[in-house]
Amino acid sequence: PAGPGGVAVPRAGLKKLALPPDYSGITFPEKPKLKFMDKVPAVPKVRREPRRLRDIRGPSQVATDFTQGQYGILALGGGYLHWGHFEMIRLTIGRSIDPKSMFAVWRVPAPYKSVTRKSLGHRMGGGKGPIDHYVTAVKSGRLVVEVGGRCEFEEVRPFLARVAQKLPFPAVPVSRESLWEMRREEEERRLNNQNPWTFERVVASNMLGMRKYLSPYDLRLKGRYWGKFFLKHRV
Amino acid sequence: GAGAGVGAGAGAERCPAAWLPALQLLRRGSKAVTRHWKAMHFQRQKLLALTEYLPPRPAVPPRCLPRHTPEGHQEDGYVRVLRRQVEETLRSSRMVAVCQYNSMADEDVVTLRHFLRKHNIHVKFFLNEVVRPVLAQSKYRNLLPLFVCRNILLVSPETRAREMLRVLKGVPQVNLLGACIDDTILSRQGVENFARLPPLEASQGQTVAALSLLSSQTSSLLQQGPAHLTALLDEHIRQLREAGESTEPPPGQSTAND
Repeated sequence: PAGPGGVAVPRAGLKKLALPPDYSGITFPEKPKLKFMDKVPAVPKVRREPRRLRDIRGPSQVATDFTQGQYGILALGGGYLHWGHFEMIRLTIGRSIDPKSMFAVWRVPAPYKSVTRKSLGHRMGGGKGPIDHYVTAVKSGRLVVEVGGRCEFEEVRPFLARVAQKLPFPAVPVSRESLWEMRREEEERRLNNQNPWTFERVVASNMLGMRKYLSPYDLRLKGRYWGKFFLKHRV
Repeated sequence: GAGAGVGAGAGAERCPAAWLPALQLLRRGSKAVTRHWKAMHFQRQKLLALTEYLPPRPAVPPRCLPRHTPEGHQEDGYVRVLRRQVEETLRSSRMVAVCQYNSMADEDVVTLRHFLRKHNIHVKFFLNEVVRPVLAQSKYRNLLPLFVCRNILLVSPETRAREMLRVLKGVPQVNLLGACIDDTILSRQGVENFARLPPLEASQGQTVAALSLLSSQTSSLLQQGPAHLTALLDEHIRQLREAGESTEPPPGQSTAND
């Protein structure tokens, strides 16, 4: 800041002593590190199951809120996680956290859905291929892992962001406060939208016969989801 | 092949007022959920373009409105303690000198403190942002312009400006800006003049002497007449005695009738 005469006046104000963060209400699980997830479930499936891509579509109804930890990775799109992803998450987070003061918890089950692949170079036909590997389905809005303990969001965010980037769907690291803030902002946008025409309204009353071009699922998805993608900018 | 889904029956329960299409488009090859971004029907694109989010636009943009500085500025207990210390210092000292303080080595600061302490002058460091509100509310309002840059306060319960100036003359990094001595605000020249004044006892003696000058003169004034007469007679007697000794007047003539 410049003082009178253009001379720079150095300013050092009073030091504001902030209290250290309070970690009193945190309970640690027995094993602070992430559990090892199997490639194949203990009872492998005999019957080959249909593809059922609807387990990727739409918003998630499970694991949308925090249980034990304070920070986590939120999925912003649908996708399948296979064993390689699980190992990557487990090892990266295991390398980055300090097991004495931090812990991490899975919020997705081990791979349970069998995925079949036909061998390469064969023509169509000949029945369904054999089971190749197992995957876990993740819908948008679901938490993948949770991290907690005596740590701040700024310490945890770098490695969670690295993990989130490597996932097959778009994901972001979140904390309890940031997730609440995200939801609040979404709600605010929905309420102060100046556009009198909303997707929901048009679909529900089938204005201009729009439902010919839309799916019955759009009644529930309300234009925010398209396939496995989550359209964040839409209200 | 092309599939036609009949959705009329299932949909009628949900929204009885609207009509539902008898045929739903299921001609294209890929399924609903794909790995790639499935191309949308143009009508759907138009609908999404129509139903986009429009943010509220107030008549006066918020950047034109006066910006409120964050209120609810909790006053630290620490700030309150510091303010109390400043008030205490100001109350208990007769002389308060404000000096500009440039960076000095630590040992120089200690030496300065030591020499000033010998004359019972205390060196105080206070933050401007703490001192300014205290001064604004007390009677030292006119000292506010001095508290701009880095400064120190030299406070003392006695007014020994001469020793203070002598010590400060040897320290080039500390420059006297102004002082408040006995509720009188003095500038640098004023402090120097004050230092050149004689000490209190001498000036008191001088005042007493000046006041009692007239009364001491009264007695001498009253006695001036008779004293003058006495002096004249003494002179006359001395002259007569000298004249009598020189001419040896006869004893008969000395008793002259007049």
